[in-house]
Amino acid sequence: MELAYYPGCSLKQSSSLYDRQMRLVMERLGVTLKELDDWNCCGATSAGKTDDFLSIAMPARNLGIAAGSGQSELVIPCSACYSRTLVAKHYLEADREIKETINLGLSKKIVSDVKVLSILEVLLGLIESGELARQLVFKPKGLRPACYYGCMLTRFPFPVPVPDDVENPRGMERILEAMDLHPLEWNCKTSCCGASSAVTDPEVSYGLMAKIIRDALARGANCLVTTCPMCQMNLDAYQDEVCAKHGISERLPTYFITEIVGVAMGMGIKPLEIDRHFVDGTKLLEELERYESEQ
Amino acid sequence: MTVSAIEVAPDSVSSLLSEVMERSGQNLLACYQCRRCAGACSVGDETGFFTPDRLIRTILIGDRTAALNNELVWKCVSCYTCGIRCPNGIQTGRITETLKKMAKEAHIDSPYPKMVHFHDSFVQSGLRWGRVNETEFMASYELKNSLSLLKQMDFRSVADEISRQIKLALSMLKLRRMHFGFLSAKGRNEIKRLHKQFKNKH
Repeated sequence: MELAYYPGCSLKQSSSLYDRQMRLVMERLGVTLKELDDWNCCGATSAGKTDDFLSIAMPARNLGIAAGSGQSELVIPCSACYSRTLVAKHYLEADREIKETINLGLSKKIVSDVKVLSILEVLLGLIESGELARQLVFKPKGLRPACYYGCMLTRFPFPVPVPDDVENPRGMERILEAMDLHPLEWNCKTSCCGASSAVTDPEVSYGLMAKIIRDALARGANCLVTTCPMCQMNLDAYQDEVCAKHGISERLPTYFITEIVGVAMGMGIKPLEIDRHFVDGTKLLEELERYESEQ
Repeated sequence: MTVSAIEVAPDSVSSLLSEVMERSGQNLLACYQCRRCAGACSVGDETGFFTPDRLIRTILIGDRTAALNNELVWKCVSCYTCGIRCPNGIQTGRITETLKKMAKEAHIDSPYPKMVHFHDSFVQSGLRWGRVNETEFMASYELKNSLSLLKQMDFRSVADEISRQIKLALSMLKLRRMHFGFLSAKGRNEIKRLHKQFKNKH
């Protein structure tokens, strides 16, 4: 199977481990990722807050490149890029005039409709086809993950068709359950981590993150799992400060979904670059690996 | 908690309301003040008097000054929870995004300039190079930030901010999560041209 692939700026920089994991995991699962040629920044939520035209035009150019790529589906692992691209599509479909204006200025025009997929949709497809089950070699059964979706995977500024429940999404849980793991039910799976306010207004975002970490711990979680590089960075890089400020003594490794899937396919911590977390994520996985091999 | 009164201004209702409705794409007239949004707001603890429903009310009674400059407009993190809870499908997150832009156009200085600097720096970096260069964008953000703090002679905040960022940068460096290469998209001029064209027309 071939998919067009939009990594976005985060996956080329501070979250390059996610890009690497995405490529390794997909390759193992028989999916060839075709990175969009000369893609540009989606504008993220910043464009939505400062310039409505740019918030459409920036993802629109990528949609044009995708339309000319010959692929019918485009996977976007970053939640912000996924959301902004879906929202831009919604605008372009609703407003012919703006679509024509933008198309006139693009060298690769939006001539066909490319389906935008989240990483969860791709993995769920691979579960349905049985491909994921065929590749599993290790079940880290001691993992008690709290699946954290954040905002941008399920909530949008406009009603766009998404394949999961808005209040209680279960895509990530379904993937982990298919791997024989037992994700927890908890309250904060779609709570907001504060996003950029971790930089601009730490007090607010630390409070939001403390709620998330506390609830996960109270349910007995030993890790968080997410798909969003922004949430991952916030909950990972600032966790020590958040916990110190809010009197939380435990810490929770915050994994990308690709890390759990990769480890379960026997890919190893080093090649997956799991050693690049602020809150160490290697020890828990190593312990589980040892425990399983002794069974 | 900041308690701000809002004032009825019948003369400005129609212009304010129609501008916000058109630009945000939200039907504010559908709000019947059930306050589900208020209960859902992620930053509800921080915004004092201004809950999403009250922000809508502020616009409906025509108080332009309060609508363009209040805690909710600046503190909203666009998590869009209010909108999915609203029985009438009003996405107040879109309304705050619209008011932020209207405030900027009206040359109203945000009491939280860091937020404005952050999003401006981000979009500028994405537009300039076609891709956001994290190190450059954060440097531009910190520069804007420091300049406005220095103007207020707030040296302490500048020092605190810089030491916090250096601490983060060092741990990112150790984890190889700091990127030094340069990212760009060759076709970035297509977007710049479109943007210029659009701005000239509007």
